[in-house]
Parts: sequence; structure tokens; C-alpha cells
Amino acid sequence: MTATLPEPEPTILHVDMNAFYAAVEVLEDPSLAGKPVIVGGTGDRGVVAACSYEARMFGIRSAMPSTRARRLCPHAVFIPGHFDLYGDYSRRIHEVFKAFTPLVEGIALDEAFLDVAGARRLFGPAASIAHAIRDRIRDDLGLSCSVGAATTKFIAKLASEAAKPTASMKGIEPGLGVKVVEPGDELAFLHPLPVQALWGVGPATFERLSRFGVRTVGELAELPEATLTTALGAATGSHLHALAWARDDRRVEPDRATKSVSHEETYAHDHHELEPLRLETVRMADSVASRLRAHHLAGRTINLKVRFHDFRTITRSRTLPIAVDRGTVIARVAGELLETIDPTSGVRLLGVGVSNLTEDAAEQLTLDDADPAGWTDADRAVDEIRRRFGDRAVGPAALVGRDGLLLRRRGDQQWGPGADD
Amino acid sequence: MKFRSERDALLDALGIAARAATTRGGAPQALSGVRAEVVGDTLHLAGSDLDLTVQVELPVSATEPGVAVIPAKLATDIVRALEPGAVSVEVDEGEARIAAGRSQFAVRLLASEEFVKLRDPAPDAVTLAAADFADALRQVVPAVSHDEATRPILTGVLMAAEPGGLRLVATDSYRLAVRDLPGQTVLREGQKVLVPGRALGELARVLANAETVTLRLDPEQATFEVGTTRVSTRLIEGEFPNYRQLIPASYPNKLTVGREPLLAAVRRVRLLARENTPVRLNLRPDGLELTAIDPEHGQAREDLDAKYEGAEMVVAFNPQYLIDGVEAATGVEVTLETLDALKPATLRSTEAPDYLYLLMPVRVS
Repeated sequence: MTATLPEPEPTILHVDMNAFYAAVEVLEDPSLAGKPVIVGGTGDRGVVAACSYEARMFGIRSAMPSTRARRLCPHAVFIPGHFDLYGDYSRRIHEVFKAFTPLVEGIALDEAFLDVAGARRLFGPAASIAHAIRDRIRDDLGLSCSVGAATTKFIAKLASEAAKPTASMKGIEPGLGVKVVEPGDELAFLHPLPVQALWGVGPATFERLSRFGVRTVGELAELPEATLTTALGAATGSHLHALAWARDDRRVEPDRATKSVSHEETYAHDHHELEPLRLETVRMADSVASRLRAHHLAGRTINLKVRFHDFRTITRSRTLPIAVDRGTVIARVAGELLETIDPTSGVRLLGVGVSNLTEDAAEQLTLDDADPAGWTDADRAVDEIRRRFGDRAVGPAALVGRDGLLLRRRGDQQWGPGADD
Repeated sequence: MKFRSERDALLDALGIAARAATTRGGAPQALSGVRAEVVGDTLHLAGSDLDLTVQVELPVSATEPGVAVIPAKLATDIVRALEPGAVSVEVDEGEARIAAGRSQFAVRLLASEEFVKLRDPAPDAVTLAAADFADALRQVVPAVSHDEATRPILTGVLMAAEPGGLRLVATDSYRLAVRDLPGQTVLREGQKVLVPGRALGELARVLANAETVTLRLDPEQATFEVGTTRVSTRLIEGEFPNYRQLIPASYPNKLTVGREPLLAAVRRVRLLARENTPVRLNLRPDGLELTAIDPEHGQAREDLDAKYEGAEMVVAFNPQYLIDGVEAATGVEVTLETLDALKPATLRSTEAPDYLYLLMPVRVS
């Protein structure tokens, strides 16, 4: 072999939005600026989905039970979250990414990997691209993010973490914003980090590693691989050994199109009867249909997800002859699927989803489209009314209660039910 | 029960009745069988899925009357596999013993008391010409919906009395097929019934060599008698969509094209129109151009001689729906008339005004 590999360069970026959901809430309601803002479920089973750095000063962290967060900071502003809104911002953020490289792999709404190897000729070295992306997101969207750059995904993610602002009782440190780990510097960057920084080191693994006196990644790297595989099992052992030596050959996999659209909710109290769940399927189907149409999508497979009291989770699905985007049809099929389940042991979570999606760019029209009194026109009118007057302006008749429309959008109870349920 | 029959005759009869048998979950197990009854020298076979019942009579040489329900698929498979010639069937001690030549089978019976009660059809009967009716079914049944879940009404064919004749209509909401049978006064004036497309599909299979078909209607069921075969079906309740308002009174754009050439061209071009990709018809004064584009695999294009009056436009269709309509039309030439690329288009035979196929386009960007 005479061929040589090109010199590695830090062409993988990991972009992570700072306190994304909370930051979006502040953008939408500037009176929240500077306040501890917590996005998440407010009820007994709720968890913190995101919190502002002001909230983190009180020791609040994401995934913490909401009840605990409330004790830590009683004057924090709790917001149930506006998932649709985060989705919109996320898409706009991805548009910024796409201006630099087509190789974007979204990990979450607020997190993505970018491969900028091909973008350097246009935009300069990776570090310049990282700064440019950060500036664009700040200037165009008013949001801040942290960017890590490295030769591997794994180091890039750790680098973005190292670039983040930090909050403690003393105050908020702005952080580096961009952290580049140059080729050859990976181990020097990685080895001093606590071993929990590695993907796959949870409390149980940490406990076992502690018995070997391992606290940092460097100490882990010094352990023979055989010792690790004996202690942690073959898969975990060799995985961690590779990571500790900064070996990670996963590529940035560009996003494929959306695979499914769904809406699920966890209830404050288990449902033991079908009747309230029937109403819930109508509600969720309506929400899913609205989102499908908003994204010019339609789907052929209707899915119903049910989680029982004991966390046993089942899904039921049916595939229709053509792709649909109508709330009435989705509700009807979901309702029929619901009839096949027995709720007596208690249903704690219900979800309605549509998969097998196609773009409606080539939409088979139906004779209802030709009929002035058809359903499709009604659905289009619903979209228009919601666009102009808000989501709660119109909804299925089955959802009209004494206090008006019982409509919920996705995200209303995304992280556990609200306190008023 | 004991009888002898020729294998081929028995196989034909079994095959017809067995098609209505069902293995659907929740149905009584007996409905996965064929009910066989010997009365005098006649074997009566029946298969049923509750909605649809198909009965056949077959002359046999019987030595003992009786009733039994035999597993439909197994019995058909056995009789088909036997050597040609005489087959003897004897039911005894919960078994049907089927024998021919040196082959012998003993098949366990199903519970005959679980089988549906066979109803007598309505006494009032009307008769129509089998060939015309078979033609009409061939033209209309492909347009019925198979989606029981969302709009069960559309799984039926509307049979309606029209001034001067009988009209059959079917739609799956993407296309609508209408066929008139002038002079056939099967129904009372203004009467209409909704007959499941599945039953009419089965009926069409047995109509092939018949001269006449007899229809008996009662409020819940329709029975069609063809020779020794009787197809009974539950009627669908509900209001069929008001299809008349969908058919435009006049069209500004009209394409006239050879039926066979169009059919052949669509079939070729659709090789590159996979699921969800339409075939585009480019309507131009100098003729018709068909294209299909599959972003993954490539594209296909074909020019056809055609006469076109109207504004130049591109209209796209699901290729299978288009093929169904062109196949169902008769004659040498068809016309395709349309208002614009998003409105229903009407396909007709230039020679036979009694058939109309309304087809919704596919919206393309």
C-alpha cells in the first residue's frame, strides 16, 4: 500500500442550543428575560424538560422531577411548553446549518451533527465555520448555541459541552461558545474528563468502575480491555475502551425525511374506561392531522400506542389504501384500534400517530375535493381558522365541553400532565 | 349422507361454494366449511361468511340423504388432487370419507349447527340478460372501495331504477363508474339498493356462460340466481353519495384517442410510475404525450396520436385507476374530457354512451 490517508481535520461539528426551550419561551415573551424559566410538566408526575441558566443557578437540571424543581426555586416560571413552536425554531436553525453543508444529522430539536469537510473551501477552516454558524443563529434567530469541532462525533459532542455556559450560585459564566479539539489533541482533551462524560457510563457502570479506582477517562484508558470486558460485559467493555482512546468511526448521517407524526400524553390519573380515551383519540387525531397538513404530509398507517399501569406498552396499527391527512379519518381508525384494547388495568399513556408518510406534492385528489360540501374543504377551513385565530378557535364537536373547546396541542402534556388535570 | 359424483363436476361446485367460506377471526369455525346436503338425487352445497352466501346444486347419484359441514379448503384441495373419474363421499361418525380409485381420505366434520341458517329468498323475481349484466359488472365493480373501515357505504354498488332502465354506480372516492342498462326494469320506479361489491364480484365469476340471471330482492338481502348457483348477499344500509352533482354538465377540453393504443402506452409508461407516482398526460393540439417520472429510477415518455380540442395542459392520474377506466370502456375510441388539472375528468367510449368513468387527477407540483 502506497496510498496514504489524508491528514485528519476537525470537520465534524456538534451544535447544541443553549437552554433551547426556555430560550424560545423568552423570545416569545420578553418579560421572562432574566428570570428562572422552567419548561416541563407541572403536575405530580411532571419532569423538567429544559430550564434557563437563571433556573440552573438554583441547582435545577433537566429531567429533574418538577416537584423538586419547585422546592429549589419556588418563584420560577413554569411553562408547559410549546412543542410546535420549538419545532418551528428547530427548522429555522436547520436552515442555517443547510446553508453551510447538506450533511446535517439532527439528534434532537436542539442538537445536530454537521460534517463540514466539503464546506471548507467556501467557508474556511472548521473553527471559522463554527463561529459563523453561531453568529448566524444569534443574529437571525436571537438564540445562542455552543459548538464543538473534532475529528469524531463523540469528541465533538464533548467539545460542545465544554463550550457551554455554566451556572452556579455565584452566577452565569458565558462559556467559550466554540471549542475545537485539534487532531492529535483528543486524548489530552478527553483523559482529564470524569468518566461519566462517556456515552454509556450510567450510575451502575460508574459504580463498577469506581471499584477499579477509575474516576477519569484517562484512568479508564489505562485499564486493559480484557479487564473492562470481564467487569462490564463484552459489548460495553470494548465500547468504552474504544471511546476512552477517542476511537469513534461513526459518520454524520444526513437526516432522512420525517418518518412519522404522533401525539402522546401521559395522564395524571390512569384511565380505566374506554369512554374518556375515545375522546382523547379524537383530540390527538385532530392535532396530528393539523401537523401533517402543516408539513404537507399525509400517511397511510395509523398507529395507536397504549401504556398500561404496569408500564407494559403496546401499539396497534392499521394501514389504509391511501395516505390521509384528515382528523376525522385518523380519529375513526384510531378509535377502532382503541376498541381492541382492555383498559381495566389502567391506561397511563395514550398516543395516536401516523407513519408511512408521503409528501402531498403528488396527492391523489378525491371526489370529495370536487364536491363543494366535502370534508377536505372543512379541514382546510379549520387550518385557516387556526392560523388566524389560534388553535383553540375551532375543533371537533366531540371535544366541546361546558367550558369551551377541550383542544390540546402536542407538547401540552409532553413531559407529564399539567397540575390542573 | 352418501353420494357419488364425477370429480370435475364436484370440484367446480365445491370451488364456487368454498369461495364464500371464511377463516376470518371471530367467525364461527363452521363458516370455514362448506355445508353439504343431499336431498333426493341433488347435492346442495353452501358457503357463507354471514354477509355473503353462495349455494350450488349438483345432480349426483345419492344413496343416503343427510347434512354435514366439511372444511372448505381441505375438501376442495382433496377433490382437486384426486384422479379424474368417479368420487364417492360418505359421511359417518363425524367424518367425511372421500374416496376415488385407490385414494381414501377421512376428514373430520365441523359443527353443522353453527353454520348459518339458509334463508329462502324473496318470492318476487325479475330476470335480466346475463351477458349485459356481466358486462356492466365488469365495468363497475373495479371502482368499488375495499376499505371497510373508513366508508363502508363505498364498498357497495348502487343499483338504481332510472327512467328507461337500470343503472349501476360504484366509487371508491377516487373514481366513479356508471353503467346504464336501458330497458332493464328490474327495480320499482325510484327504487335503489346498495349491493356489496364482493358479492357482485363472485356473481360475475358464475355469469360467464349463463343466458339469464334472476334477481330476488327483500329489504335486507339480494339473491341472484344463475343456473344452479344462487348468490345471496346482505344489502348495505345507508345513503350512497350524491354522485350526480359531481359529473360536470360540459367540458371545455376534450381528448379523443384510440382505446387500445392508450391502454398499451399507459401500461408501458407506468413501469416508471411506482406507488404514489402518477402518469402525466400532456394534452396538446397535436396529440397526447404520456410521461412518468420516478425520482429514484428515471423516466418514461410516449407520444400518441390523438385529437384534442381545448387548452393545452398537463393532467396527472394514478396509472392503475386510468387503466381500470380505459379497460372497462368498450369500442375503438375513448374520449377524456376535463375542466382543469384538479377537477374530475370523464372517460367515455365514443360508441357506447351507456358507460361513464369519472376520475380524480393527482395533484402534482
